[in-house]
Amino acid sequence: MTNASALPAVSVRNARKSFGDKVVLHDVSLQIMPGEVVSMIGPSGAGKSTLLRCMTLLDRFDSATFSYGDLVVCSPNEQGHAVYSPEGTQESHNRFGIVFQNYNLFPHFTVMQNITDAPIVVQGRSRDEVEAEARELLERVDLTEHANKVPCELSGGQQQRVAIARALAMNPDVIYFDEATSALDPKLTADMQRIIRELASNGMAVGIVTHEMGFAKLVSDRIAFLFDGEIAEEGPAEQVIDHPRDPRTQRFLSQAED
Amino acid sequence: MITMLAQGYVVSLLVFSLTLLGSIPLGIVVAHGRLSRFAPIRLITQLYISIIRGTPLMLQMFAVFFMPFYVFGIKTGAGFKFIACIIAFIINYTAYFAEIYRSGIQSMPKGQYEAAQVLGYSRSQTFFRIILPQVIKRILPAMGNEIITLVKDTSLAFSVGVAEMFTESKALVASQRTMVPFMIAAAIYWVTCLLIEFCLSRAEKKLGYYHD
Repeated sequence: MTNASALPAVSVRNARKSFGDKVVLHDVSLQIMPGEVVSMIGPSGAGKSTLLRCMTLLDRFDSATFSYGDLVVCSPNEQGHAVYSPEGTQESHNRFGIVFQNYNLFPHFTVMQNITDAPIVVQGRSRDEVEAEARELLERVDLTEHANKVPCELSGGQQQRVAIARALAMNPDVIYFDEATSALDPKLTADMQRIIRELASNGMAVGIVTHEMGFAKLVSDRIAFLFDGEIAEEGPAEQVIDHPRDPRTQRFLSQAED
Repeated sequence: MITMLAQGYVVSLLVFSLTLLGSIPLGIVVAHGRLSRFAPIRLITQLYISIIRGTPLMLQMFAVFFMPFYVFGIKTGAGFKFIACIIAFIINYTAYFAEIYRSGIQSMPKGQYEAAQVLGYSRSQTFFRIILPQVIKRILPAMGNEIITLVKDTSLAFSVGVAEMFTESKALVASQRTMVPFMIAAAIYWVTCLLIEFCLSRAEKKLGYYHD
């Protein structure tokens, strides 16, 4: 290993995943560096969601070398099967956060409790410290006056920002967005772009799964285009969107244009 | 007459509260068995629920009452009828509560489990902090129905000779040749149920601060 700053915040190498006979991920490798925003795009069924589910440990790779920073989550054994380390699996929850497509906030908790419960209960941190931090987070996402409301009293965009604050309260190195902007109007989409760029400039690694090419191009440093369980093309955002090299990317983008 | 009915009412309330005290938590355990990934546990709990719901509570009470003697040859004392009655009630109500919990747990969206898992909650933390509080809100009306039924079912303790309110009122009717004890007992059952309905609707209101 070289020095820690050169270590990707998250690294997946040679990932495979099948459901029965259907191969969903076929030798996928992806790294996100601290401070980098990477979008995963591609048609439905390309494997983006499965990749994200495996990276958030909601599902497991059949085979992969997978780590968060210096923390190894799984590596292949001699037969090539992924072996998950219990410590890596447990500790990884402190390394990443995710903003789900429909947010999945806890409806019976207030905004404040949604943000503070896991740091207090799971990470065992002191309530005072966590609540002070949560108030800062709420200010950052412009929700200070909503701290004591429950999620059903908030708009969709506000709920999404609670979900962001909830993920950030765990002090992760990586934050994922599943379809970050599919439910947002242009103004909220612009806000989201600002929030994501701000996170990255503070050193956070950001992974985004999206259908929206325009948003992906604006917000990302790098784009990975998935097709049939493979990364067909990967590169700087402008290049992949404006000058795609792979014929599958070209075809997909020309269909997406209208 | 009033003192006898009052004494009976205390016994009825005892049967009522001991049954709830036992079957409300046990129902959670059985519901988990019913939803277990381990097939034998799932089948056993399913069979248990099916038999209990498919046979009369009075028969179950007699079965528990006579089992020590006819099956194990143990002579039981006079106090056993109360114990047998409570055991039978708990076994019976646990089955009904378990089914209510199960339906509530199964109605929870998968996203709640996934959000909890990603945040690192353990399985029991997920259940007790995230899932159960929401399940309680969802099952409260169905639980209320069962709890109100239980108030009246306590009168079945009469069949094994537990001196609860119905037993006492029946004795009074026979000895004093008047319907009044029955009417008083009926009024007490009704007022008890009214009180429970009031508590339930307050609980529902209290949980109405959110919807999902």
